[in-house]
Amino acid sequence: MKKIKLVKPKPPVRREKNRSKGVSQWNIAWRRFKKNKAALAGALIIGFVLFLAAFDALIAPYPPNATPGFYIGEARVAPSLKYLFGTDYVGHDVFSQVVYGARSALYVGFGSAAIAMSIAVLVGLISGYYGGFVDNILMRTTEIFLVIPFLLILLVFLKVITAVVPSGVGGLSIVMIMIGLFSWAGNARIIRGEVLRVKESEFIEASKALGASKRRIVFRHIFPNVLHTIIVLTTLMIATAILVEAAVSFLGFGDPAAITWGQQLQKANEAVKEAWWEGVFPGLFITLLVLGFSLLGNGLRDALDPRLRE
Amino acid sequence: MIRYIIRRIIYLIPLFLGILIIVFVASRIAGDPVRLMTVQNPHITAESRQALSEYYGLDKPLYYQFFLFLAELFQGNLGNSYALRGGTAVTTLIGDYAWLTFELQISALILSLLIAIPIGIMFFYMGIIAIIIFAYFLGWVPAGGAHSILAERYPFGSYALDGLWHLALPAAVLTFATLAPVVLLVRSSMLEVLRQDYILAAKASGLSDRSVVYKHALRNALIPVVTYVGLYFGGMLAGAPVTETVFNWPGVGRLFVEATTKLDFPVIMGITVFITIMTLIANLITDITYGYIDPRIRLE
Repeated sequence: MKKIKLVKPKPPVRREKNRSKGVSQWNIAWRRFKKNKAALAGALIIGFVLFLAAFDALIAPYPPNATPGFYIGEARVAPSLKYLFGTDYVGHDVFSQVVYGARSALYVGFGSAAIAMSIAVLVGLISGYYGGFVDNILMRTTEIFLVIPFLLILLVFLKVITAVVPSGVGGLSIVMIMIGLFSWAGNARIIRGEVLRVKESEFIEASKALGASKRRIVFRHIFPNVLHTIIVLTTLMIATAILVEAAVSFLGFGDPAAITWGQQLQKANEAVKEAWWEGVFPGLFITLLVLGFSLLGNGLRDALDPRLRE
Repeated sequence: MIRYIIRRIIYLIPLFLGILIIVFVASRIAGDPVRLMTVQNPHITAESRQALSEYYGLDKPLYYQFFLFLAELFQGNLGNSYALRGGTAVTTLIGDYAWLTFELQISALILSLLIAIPIGIMFFYMGIIAIIIFAYFLGWVPAGGAHSILAERYPFGSYALDGLWHLALPAAVLTFATLAPVVLLVRSSMLEVLRQDYILAAKASGLSDRSVVYKHALRNALIPVVTYVGLYFGGMLAGAPVTETVFNWPGVGRLFVEATTKLDFPVIMGITVFITIMTLIANLITDITYGYIDPRIRLE
């Protein structure tokens, strides 16, 4: 068969002055997002924690892991003006430790979400578009990852790896990578569902008729149309990853060298009776940050999903 | 219906095998368990390591170990623990702890389906706060454990009441943590169903609102809730290590944490297999319930 060479038409010249005031999809989304007070609150919380993480050394009154209360008999003292959130059993200033914990939480949250969502997007796109045998294999694998008791496997992997790798080598990164590798399955399935929906659209048919390659259709036509779902899932994934890291550290399988909120909770859990402030404040920050990302995610879903537009 | 159920069961087999392989790989990814367990022990000799490997059958090739594990599993045998209770059989260990895990999870599940107050925070933090408030400051309930150590401390001298008294706080916290999604789900799916034509038809034929909502709408609105309950049960079992650590609850979750800390692979694998089987059964029950609620699903 003779191949028809397609000539790409030149885009029409647009003059900015005469252009009628069009509104882009992103503009519409932003307008809808602005109206959502809960989502704005979520964005505000995330902004606040980002600020803490960026300027932690300036905000925290003491250096990381410093024990200002240790030598002067001020270990495990209640919150006061000197120690805003009190001190813990060895005299760490809880407020400083909480501030330093912000960076770890965001690192694990963004990192794990990036890994999990990359796998999920790839699996979802390929599985949804190609269908058939590939789809079958990928979806069965996805199901295994969905049913598997994820937290249990994660704990075993972390324990085994820390037994082999000498302590202090990329501990928090290992936690981050492991969470990412094990939490893509649910997202992959949702993205696949979206791809299946978009695939049936007429513009995909048109694109096929024009002779576009499969790769072009997947990445240029389908991907932008499932992007809103991906953004929402990523936001919610960050929240989940932060929560999982907190749980892992709480059980004592985190990186002992890093300062994380989960670890502060673990140490505090041994003495909730004597010193409530040790656990209440780090836990409050985990809750706030997770809540922030959940609110933002739900707000983005309402703003971005064209089907929810009234 | 029976054909549908059989199909669902057959469907679970490759899933189960896949998970077994992952669990096995997870426990062997870093090499010989004996080396891992003894890596911090300066006194151990190469001979005793060798003897340990032979004793646990770890000197055989990996595929052989895996098939041995499979063969034993189908006879209901999960091997003996390396480190806990002087090498007790894993099935005995799980048997001793499993009921307490179920008691907590099932009571929370039933309560959250019965009452409906939307609150959603991370439950282990909620647990700690609840312990501080209700156990320490108010002193209403015990802070942890499943039973009092001394018989004198049983309320009204009753062992059963003592169990309930200890169950109160963890069950309440788990309930609150899981309520919100159930409530939101019932509401949104009810709203969706009530918009459909057959509801209008039912109303038009003069049925009372009550009859329309409970007889016609609820049945269809329950499908997403059934999905959630099925997923929830698996998820909560997998989350048992955290729950049970917070409340010092002696169930399989805490057993798992202890076994993992000691790298006790037979127990680790046993519990993982146990929880996987429970999750798969929950999924199966979900599927069967679907088939019961919505006859269209059976025919697919």
